[in-house]
Amino acid sequence: MKEKIEELKRLAEVEIADCKSLNDLESFRIKYLARKGSIAEYFDALKNLSPEERPTVGKLLNELRSNTQRLFDEKKKLLELSVSIETEIIDITLPGRRSWIGSLHPITQTLNEIKNIFFRMGFDVIIGPEIEDEYHNFEALNFPRDHPARDMQDTFFITDNVLLRTHTSPVQIRVMENEKPPVRVIVPGRVYRNEAISARSYCLFHQVEGLYVDKGVTFSELKGTLVAFANQFYGSSIKFRFRPSYFPFTEPSAEMDITCFLCNGKGCRVCKQTGWLEILGCGMVDPNVYKFVGYSPEKLSGYAFGMGIERIAMLRYGIDDIRILFDNDVRFLKQF
Amino acid sequence: MKISLKWLSQYVQINLLPSELAEKLTNVGLEVENIEYLSEKYNNFVIGRVLSVNKHPNADKLTVCEVDISSQTLNIVCGAPNVAKGQRVVVGLNGATIPKNQHDPEAKPFILTKVKIRGVESDGMICSEYELDIGENRDGIHILGNDAQIGQPFAEYLGLNDIIFEVGITPNRPDCLSHIGIAREVAALLKKRLMLPSIKFKEDKALVSKNAKVIIKDTINCPRYSARVIKDLKIATSPKWLQNRLLSIGIRPINNVVDVTNYVLMETGHPLHAFDYDKLSHRTIIVRTASDAEYFTTLDGKGRELKENSLLICDAEKPIAIAGVMGGLNSEITESTQNILIESAYFNPSNIRRSSKYLGISTYASQRFERGADPNITIYALNRCTQMISEIAGGKILKGVIDIYPKKNRPSKIEIKLSQVNSILGTNLSSKDVINLLDRIGIRLKKILKKKDKKYTLTFEVPTFRPDIEREVDIIEEVARLYGYDRIVTKTSSHIQLTSRPPKIEFNDELRQLLVGRGFNEVITNSLQSQEVASFTGENVVILKNPLSREMSAMRTSLIPSMLEIVRNNINYQEKNLNLFEIGKVYSLVDDSKISTLVAGYLEEERLILIKCGKADFPNWSVTERKTDIFDIKGVIEDILLKILLDKYKFIPYHATKALVDSAISIEIKSIEVGYLGKINNKILKKYNIEQDVFVAELSIDRLKQFIQPVKKFKPLPTYPSVIRDLAFVVDVSVTIAELQETIKLLSGHLVKSVEVFDFYTGNQIEKNKKSCAFTLQFLSELKTLTDEEVESVISKIVNGLNIKYGAVIRK
Repeated sequence: MKEKIEELKRLAEVEIADCKSLNDLESFRIKYLARKGSIAEYFDALKNLSPEERPTVGKLLNELRSNTQRLFDEKKKLLELSVSIETEIIDITLPGRRSWIGSLHPITQTLNEIKNIFFRMGFDVIIGPEIEDEYHNFEALNFPRDHPARDMQDTFFITDNVLLRTHTSPVQIRVMENEKPPVRVIVPGRVYRNEAISARSYCLFHQVEGLYVDKGVTFSELKGTLVAFANQFYGSSIKFRFRPSYFPFTEPSAEMDITCFLCNGKGCRVCKQTGWLEILGCGMVDPNVYKFVGYSPEKLSGYAFGMGIERIAMLRYGIDDIRILFDNDVRFLKQF
Repeated sequence: MKISLKWLSQYVQINLLPSELAEKLTNVGLEVENIEYLSEKYNNFVIGRVLSVNKHPNADKLTVCEVDISSQTLNIVCGAPNVAKGQRVVVGLNGATIPKNQHDPEAKPFILTKVKIRGVESDGMICSEYELDIGENRDGIHILGNDAQIGQPFAEYLGLNDIIFEVGITPNRPDCLSHIGIAREVAALLKKRLMLPSIKFKEDKALVSKNAKVIIKDTINCPRYSARVIKDLKIATSPKWLQNRLLSIGIRPINNVVDVTNYVLMETGHPLHAFDYDKLSHRTIIVRTASDAEYFTTLDGKGRELKENSLLICDAEKPIAIAGVMGGLNSEITESTQNILIESAYFNPSNIRRSSKYLGISTYASQRFERGADPNITIYALNRCTQMISEIAGGKILKGVIDIYPKKNRPSKIEIKLSQVNSILGTNLSSKDVINLLDRIGIRLKKILKKKDKKYTLTFEVPTFRPDIEREVDIIEEVARLYGYDRIVTKTSSHIQLTSRPPKIEFNDELRQLLVGRGFNEVITNSLQSQEVASFTGENVVILKNPLSREMSAMRTSLIPSMLEIVRNNINYQEKNLNLFEIGKVYSLVDDSKISTLVAGYLEEERLILIKCGKADFPNWSVTERKTDIFDIKGVIEDILLKILLDKYKFIPYHATKALVDSAISIEIKSIEVGYLGKINNKILKKYNIEQDVFVAELSIDRLKQFIQPVKKFKPLPTYPSVIRDLAFVVDVSVTIAELQETIKLLSGHLVKSVEVFDFYTGNQIEKNKKSCAFTLQFLSELKTLTDEEVESVISKIVNGLNIKYGAVIRK
């Protein structure tokens, strides 16, 4: 009897391996595990054994039954996974028929996110030319000729009076020239700087400019808008600070820093041990600018701000070399 | 600007940790970019003596030196031409951080490690001034005097246990380009007293007015010129404390007179210049503008051609300095100088800036003058300098000051409305608050007026060291700065405006989404390229006057070349199956009388480029691989046009070849060309070393935009069911699919709504010069359900019609 049980066990193991479909498995179940199956028959036969033999054989039979049940359950799981179509067995680990996965450039993704936040705050999107005249890029923005402030932005010139814009700020002038107040716009776009290419600077980059001019706009409101932006973009737990700075076309001018999210403000390589990351420049529109566009500084006030998309994207994605953004290695692009 | 904490503490009492001081300065707009502990900077630098200099066995330009550093003798490989036995030098030991790498364009610091240089192990490095960050000389190693003790730590030798703040000074704050200037801000912040050095010295009996003469010929560009003469002084190296002060902020000591002028410059912010009095012809200073093409040799030994209007300091015969920029070699202080004339002048900022720009020289002096020095500090700075020189170099100070100042520059008065302060800042400051804040930085209240409506008008007097404060808003900024930006309440706007999103942006986003869905990766490429590349298209190229390099001297006229660079680079990375797109601008010169643009004569056009190369489909186990061909890219374009513009487009072959593209197909909408597609020309591919076919489409977004339908209109769905039939024809290869499709629709009396190609064949299975095309026809009537008979009768019309018109034969 013991030998028979052992043999039955081996047979079941062979047969379960042959089961290729749920149908096969069902036949297996009927053969071994059903109420009239072979294991049940052996149990029936127990009663013919001597009382001494019964417990050991019974134990073996129990083992056989549970073992066979386990084999069955496992195989059933496996076969159910391989969904069968018209009795054909499919290896579901075979890759599906995929197609190429497209991606938006990380600069576009970052820009879109920034744009969307400002849309929700009621800002229009406008754009302006990259080839700009000296008047719009500098003069009307209160950068006097022969003023050291022009050195803040190394410029590519096309002629003495035509250049590649060094910032998106000239579009501030263009929008105020064309539209009556109030204006509330953001201006995304490409800008150029005549700086040697390195891990930290490229000859071109992208900015988003913001401008809001209306009656009674205050510095307090500028802070409010930018803090709301930073909370949306970087999360509501960040800390921020505004510190005085200088831009010819705003006064008072400020730079906005947020706590470095890489080290939580403790100080690291990226924040140069300061615990702060500079994210944008801003300020109240300088009254001189209004004079150039025929707005009345007595009746109006406004704010402007600007940020570099590459810098924001680099911080966001942990990219430490700006050139990688323009290398467009698809192994890089496909990560986004 | 580098600020020494010890130096600063001479003028104001500071009881803060360096980091706390840094934060306070940053919060008032003087951004501390770095704090440097000088003693730590020179950890692992010691003084050594060169015992021997031997040729490097494997390199002609290198030597192997034995250097005694007291505790041991090191073997150091050295590349400097001036190394010699017996010299006392600064040795960077392994583990030392060399402050400036002179072989790195960004001069980044690096850590010394034990290395073999051409096969010889080097135990350290003998450093140059530049590498030690104590001067600009990088031509050889820095050699110390005999006072340097062998084995002494370099920091100790320098007497450096100072803390240096690197402060970023914005161009509007010339007053902060000095220790006293920063001290004034610190005093205001900490509410402490500013302690200025008091000046006392004894004058000789001889009158300066009898010994020197100053004539200003251009008082516009030189409103003030003050001078003193010191005689019988002794030029020598400066005392150690003075050298260390200068070194600690990165200025190389030269001699006692020059060092004092630099010291006073860094102390007061006012640039001074010392001339060798005996080299001044007729003991006369004449300030005049240059005549064109005048030639002059500056202190640095370089010959300079001057431009008209550059302001010059001359003696009776010749120029002796470029005013406010750099002195001349001909009147330089040398070891043999005995008598000096010290200049302390005020020059017009724009003139100095023009000279400095034109000559390409930027000095501590020019940086200060062009930002605006203080005309009323000349005498103070001059006296301070005189006092220090006489203390250090001895000599007799001639009696009196020469001071030509025809039109006195008085402090300006600025009137502000308190209400304006609060309405710009969103604060609620009282007049007392404002007055107290401003008083701390020397802006004093002159007058206060309270009008009937309880509105205050305040008049302040602004000291002349703040040329940046000219208007009410400048005062408001000072108030905000001193009050603290962080104390101004953060408020969100209560104004709500609806935006009207311009269609162009939306369109670009829609395009991007569609292409990403189609498996394309977006790239963003450089719009600057070489003139040669930009000229490929034959457009009039926009060229830069001052490019970074020849490779980036022109603006692109097509998106293809910058894309091909990306394609090449990716193929080099073994990424050969590429689906890329870019939305970007191209630029060209246009005739401004014919095309009006925002900046006259320059056209910018926004374009979309798609490229596809390598395998047509994502590798897949059940489909045979197929290489990309032109119909892959055409399909994407059709998708875009159908999705966005419906079906008004046409593809027309170019008869003339396009510059960059072979077998180009023009894409037209309502007879306007919006772009083209094709295969990149082999010659061009060769230029980029690309060895696989690349298919491209370039479309003008600006033109496509015109056809966007802003609001899509619903068309009622068909009431009756459609009937689908397949038909296959064999026709001459010359008959186009488009013709067949069009004719089928016509012959059906417009009962056929769509004709899709489901099979296409040319080859051995059919006659030569024939092709087989199989179509799926959709029959649909708006009036009724079509019966089989009706459909059959239309089909026979089509079959007959095509047979008559094209000789098409139905294929069963």
